[in-house]
Amino acid sequence: MNEGSSPPALRWRPLAPLLLGAGMVLLLIAVLTRNPVPLFLGLPLLLAPVAAASVGPRANPPVEVALTVEGAAAEVRLEGTVAPPPDIDARDLVLEFSRPSGLMGEATPRLDASPDRVEVHANWVASEPTITEVDAPRVAWQDPMGLVEREAVVSMRPLTVSRYPPELLRIGAVRLERTTPLPGETRSRRIGESGEFHGIRPARPEDPPRLINWRASAREGRPLSNEFDLDKTGDILLLLDARPTSLGRQADERLFSIARAAALGISESFLTVKARVGVGVFGEFLDTVPLATGRTQRIRIETALKRARLSSVAAPPERCAIAARRSFPPGLTTVVFSTLADDASVDLSPYLRHRGFPVVVLSPSPLPLLAAASPLSGADEALAGRIARLVRRNRIAQAWRESPAIDWDDYWSLGQFVDFVRRPRIRRVG
Amino acid sequence: MSGAVARTERRPVRPVSLALLLAVAIVLGFLSGFPAGLGVFLAVGLVVVGAVLRAVPGHGLAAYAPVPVLGVLLLEASTAPVGFGTELFAGLAGLAFLVWLADDPARPAGGSVRALPALAVPALALALAWSSALFLPTGLLPVGVAGALLALLVAAVALLAGRPTVFDREAARS
Repeated sequence: MNEGSSPPALRWRPLAPLLLGAGMVLLLIAVLTRNPVPLFLGLPLLLAPVAAASVGPRANPPVEVALTVEGAAAEVRLEGTVAPPPDIDARDLVLEFSRPSGLMGEATPRLDASPDRVEVHANWVASEPTITEVDAPRVAWQDPMGLVEREAVVSMRPLTVSRYPPELLRIGAVRLERTTPLPGETRSRRIGESGEFHGIRPARPEDPPRLINWRASAREGRPLSNEFDLDKTGDILLLLDARPTSLGRQADERLFSIARAAALGISESFLTVKARVGVGVFGEFLDTVPLATGRTQRIRIETALKRARLSSVAAPPERCAIAARRSFPPGLTTVVFSTLADDASVDLSPYLRHRGFPVVVLSPSPLPLLAAASPLSGADEALAGRIARLVRRNRIAQAWRESPAIDWDDYWSLGQFVDFVRRPRIRRVG
Repeated sequence: MSGAVARTERRPVRPVSLALLLAVAIVLGFLSGFPAGLGVFLAVGLVVVGAVLRAVPGHGLAAYAPVPVLGVLLLEASTAPVGFGTELFAGLAGLAFLVWLADDPARPAGGSVRALPALAVPALALALAWSSALFLPTGLLPVGVAGALLALLVAAVALLAGRPTVFDREAARS
């Protein structure tokens, strides 16, 4: 048995020393008073802990934990069973669950115990988009009298809960520019000789004549081009600004959590259509997941986003741009997740743009969080809200001078962002 | 957190084990040396306090529910004079207390039934001790012998309490 990884062995619960202590006091009284009555009361109390330890499992029992996360949008349902070995009654199992961070609702799941298994039901609510984990529960066998306890061996990987706005499911239809050829790809194959025919789309000025579908163009009266699956895929970089802002640690953490969820949603949608997705998290330094596609890349990105934490140090924005240029090719469509709460966060997109990355800023607004935490009421609250909206609008306009910036104030809706990236439009400033 | 009961709900009282404990504690209180029914009053009061502490969730005191019950049993057994059947009721009070412990309302029902294998050991020891005390000649000698045996038992229990791994079993190797 591996000493380092094995859970602790049998443990006496607090009631066992209480019974042993009471038994010894009774024994002492019996001997001192020469009265056998206390001795008879003490006898069961002294023997019970030893008997409870003897009749239980003789080693840490393995239990099968089968849990699933269900539900959609804000609803998170945890369902599953915990099954001990046949020689252990499931009603003697003690389960301890911890509610994942970012979820609201009942603190402890509802447990329905039967002799062979314990059914687990929990209803939680994600108050905002989130990506979090449901950890494996602590399971222990405990004798019915509650005198001894033995840890069970639980084999379960943490379950990932990801909730993001449903509009992101259709963002994968956005056409992305490709920055690097695929392995084995040649110029002649890029114009459609390889890959399955996908459909017809409006022609662009850079389309070569061989791509134009002349018959369809004649029918429609406007130039149309053939599109192939290979041409349809593209590359995208999702860059999260993890630097602290003037909003404070708590608001920064929540907004960063929302941004992580949105980044996961966008990456999943693009990976579904075989686009290549890269991720960067810029705190003190830039942590990257290189461009790739496929199921493995999805796991890489999910793991990176789950591990991403807010930095305590605000690094200069040019460091991010330089590091991004080392890891990713220029011309890569880049979505920057930034709160735009202060000048430092606004400065990130100009540096990226100057290094050759076309940037779209998706900015989770801090206004809903600030309004919820506001101590004001009535007219004062309304006035403070108007001023905050004006400041926020000014900040977005300032960011628009460098690159498109989408204000994201309804956390469960990203329709505005999806519409923009599907039909980008230039905003006139000044 | 345990079993199948949510914390916010009132926990069901398990009447059989509570009635058993109450009955034995009342008899022991009646046999104890307290005057004018004080023993009975104490037994009823403190057992009810323990039952209420376990049945009402949310106050964080449920873990201390056995303390008043154990206290009143200890008090009554210490003051009870030697008499025919008094020792038996003291032992039965100890067993009833263990049954009541096993019927924790915070855990799935049927705890007292599942605890029967563990309860059989002290019950058997109690039966042996009581039959020995009943059929052996009375005097100081049996008390001394029983006291010595119990001292040995306590030493063994203390040894086991310090090394709970003695109950572990090595995993079978194929």
